[in-house]
Amino acid sequence: MSTAIRSLPLDYDLTLDCIHCGLCLNSCPTYRQSGRESEGPRGRIHLMRALAEGRLEADQDCVEALDSCLVCRNCETVCPAGVQFGALMESARDHLPAPGLLARGLRWFGFRLVLPHRRVLGFLAGAVRLTQLLRLPQVIAPLLGQRGIALAHLPVFPEANKRRSLPPVCPSTSERTEAVGMLEGCVQRQLYGDVNRATVAVLNACGADVHTPQDHACCGALHAHNGDLDEARRLAQKTIQAFEDLDGEPDMQIVLNSAGCGAHMAEYPRLFAEDPLWLPRADAFAQRVIDFSAFVAQDQRAERLKKQLAPLAPRKVAWDDPCHLCHGQGITAEPRALLDLIPGIERVEMPSSGSCCGSAGIHALLYPAESNQLLDAKLEEFTRSEADVLITANPGCQMQWHGGFSRTGKAARPQHLAEILAASLAQGPQVVSKTKPPTKG
Amino acid sequence: MTKNWIDELRTIVGPRNVITGSESLAWESDGLSLVRGMGQAIVLPLDTEETVRVMKLLAREGVPVVPRGAGTGLTGGATPVGGGVTVGTARMREIFTIDPVGRLAHVQAGVVNSDLSVAARPHGLFYAPDPSSQAACTLGGNVANNSGGPHCFMHGSTTRHVRGVKLVDAEGQVLDLLASPADPEGLDLVGLITGSEGMFGIVTEVKLNLEPLPEEVQTIIAVFPSLDAACDCVSEAIAAHIEASAIEILDKLTIAAVEDSIFAAGYPREAEALLLVEAEGGALEVQETIDLVLQLARKHGAMEIRSAQDKAERARLWAGRKGAFGAMGRVAPDLYVADVVAPRTRLREIVALAIEIAEERNLRLGNVFHAGDGNLHPNIAYDRRDEDEVRRVLEAGQLIMEACIERGGSLTGEHGVGVEKMTHMCDLFDDDDLNTMHRVRDALDPKRRMNPTKVLPLRACREVRNGGLPFSPMGNLEAKT
Repeated sequence: MSTAIRSLPLDYDLTLDCIHCGLCLNSCPTYRQSGRESEGPRGRIHLMRALAEGRLEADQDCVEALDSCLVCRNCETVCPAGVQFGALMESARDHLPAPGLLARGLRWFGFRLVLPHRRVLGFLAGAVRLTQLLRLPQVIAPLLGQRGIALAHLPVFPEANKRRSLPPVCPSTSERTEAVGMLEGCVQRQLYGDVNRATVAVLNACGADVHTPQDHACCGALHAHNGDLDEARRLAQKTIQAFEDLDGEPDMQIVLNSAGCGAHMAEYPRLFAEDPLWLPRADAFAQRVIDFSAFVAQDQRAERLKKQLAPLAPRKVAWDDPCHLCHGQGITAEPRALLDLIPGIERVEMPSSGSCCGSAGIHALLYPAESNQLLDAKLEEFTRSEADVLITANPGCQMQWHGGFSRTGKAARPQHLAEILAASLAQGPQVVSKTKPPTKG
Repeated sequence: MTKNWIDELRTIVGPRNVITGSESLAWESDGLSLVRGMGQAIVLPLDTEETVRVMKLLAREGVPVVPRGAGTGLTGGATPVGGGVTVGTARMREIFTIDPVGRLAHVQAGVVNSDLSVAARPHGLFYAPDPSSQAACTLGGNVANNSGGPHCFMHGSTTRHVRGVKLVDAEGQVLDLLASPADPEGLDLVGLITGSEGMFGIVTEVKLNLEPLPEEVQTIIAVFPSLDAACDCVSEAIAAHIEASAIEILDKLTIAAVEDSIFAAGYPREAEALLLVEAEGGALEVQETIDLVLQLARKHGAMEIRSAQDKAERARLWAGRKGAFGAMGRVAPDLYVADVVAPRTRLREIVALAIEIAEERNLRLGNVFHAGDGNLHPNIAYDRRDEDEVRRVLEAGQLIMEACIERGGSLTGEHGVGVEKMTHMCDLFDDDDLNTMHRVRDALDPKRRMNPTKVLPLRACREVRNGGLPFSPMGNLEAKT
């Protein structure tokens, strides 16, 4: 006998929003890939409803159908009935066993022992860097098949100096108008510290002091997406607390430069739907969360930023919407508008910019072949767009694109939106005396 | 014993593409969620060649076959109510060629309707039939059901756009009609296959006409104080030989559902009825058509008339209309989408009757329909867990259908007959008609293994043996659910 789902009223009611029209099918990357309706949104909801109704046992086949979902939430963007697919999948996974050893291992080791702890994360990042410098991943890659290839093409973790924390406060470099909070993140801080520093530079240029919690590690997004709602709740509480304790202004906005974290944090109240103590705090917190691009594009900030941007060497840039930005938060115009502010560059569109690159949290690790296939289609579009730089706004997407470029021997590199904005700022008159801009920009 | 041929299927299409596990439940119904059925397996071949091998094997084993596209149909046509194997085209997604000079596209059957228009756009062309599910439904499924859509008022339904098909029949023989000229020599088999609801075989490839993108498009909405007034306006416009490309009506409940959804189109919520009209063609004729609509709308008491200012607004108005069915998910967990045709001079009468029938049974009815074609979609929101409500829904559906047939209408406009309307074929056709249809079917599928228990009412040993249903499938399924 396999484990039957613990029926939870909340999940079940959410499944009832779906009337089986199927308009979601073609938006779903996994359905388009396999043609299996059990791997499309409608089919997955149907399976969840059947599980909740006790018509179906959660056996391996069924669990895999649900687990192979990217939770990219593309289906939410096209669903006329407004089905909250992300929420549904999170609670379903919370009730289901992980489908394989690797997934189970990641849940317990990665999610519980590593991500929530700054020091463990730092130590591990250093250790991985060492193996990368020794080219160990390249040595063992052939033993691990597709997963090995992904491993061999991971970006190299930067030196310790670049993995250091941001100072508690980074003061505005322009006329000060406000204060904001910012999350450094877990993977982001270790792998893409430069992105965080670039984000700060842009926010400072907009007139904001940036406050960062010093002992905070992880927002819990990966936990929620992968069936560990208890730990997600614990991390959400820590996050809320950390930002409540932050100096600065009491209701200052909290700026996120990682789309996955931002989408999740804006939905914290859902985690505490049945917790009267935490719900109001989560609500108040969620009100303050805002994506970096939305924040900068708003009000007078973009105007102010624009005056400080200097031309970059001519190049074509392609914006790739992170799923949890465009589908999770409905943000598509702002990042494009910001890119259009940068003098010297030309922005080009990729037809499937709103479709998942295959990173999808830990999906790339669990389903490397399928993940690479999704990325390959996008790499082709990138080539056809003739862009030189790929811009995105989520560490997972950035890693995925990095791996894809490296695997296919392309010279292009992915950059975070904040990085290209900061590069253009660095060309400007203000910082020119401090750091000599490299000739290539 | 049975295991053997399923393993053989796996060697043909690959193990991942034969589904027999618990996840098969995802294929147990199509857009008509009331009707469910489980077969022995789902098979997803990649191309014509794999389909041939699959069909030969299934012929050898004598297994019934249910063809399926994206499963967005609304009459249970792709649901394995008679058991057997579902053969899906969801992996056949290749657009082989687009010929901009000959204005033809050659595609695999699993290509999604709107994907073809997207691919044709750079050539200044589009594929005209636009069912509301066009973002998901497949062209193969469109051929099987002779699908319509709002713009079929001007462009005609699928059959007017199909130039050729490749069909794999029940025995695995390929009938290659892709080379058909515009005016077929000999028997028009392509015409026969279009709208045959999977009873003659599986269409694996299609050749379709593409139309040039119109020079000028104008879209207007007119707000009416009553559904009657909107219907009368349309009836008069038809009588005045209006040359619009689409004429649609949405009622208050539907407007509210759409406006609550992400497809909110800016439809005025206070409207009792909304008329959505589009005209396309040369600038002059478009203006003439729109002027006529404006004149008639005012005459019939339109309170407000608005014209789409740009492409984006036009797209929004249509996205709202096309999301209307799904948006009704906000009203109740299930939706029964009826599909009947009323004589266009009697729109008002039939719509009023549908409302009365629903009200008498305490049902929530939303009307959204292709008014120009007289193709009504009374949509009844319900909850399939409520047995009595299900009974009332089915009863209402039947009464509406019967009323249309009585008044000279028809039982399906574009969704096909499928399981839902099978028994009503007897209301519309006499024994001789039905026997002729059976003889055509027998000529192409003598063993009646293709999509059994659908479209043509009959009792056959095979259907009964395969767990199929006796005379009234809808009635029976009602008891099962």
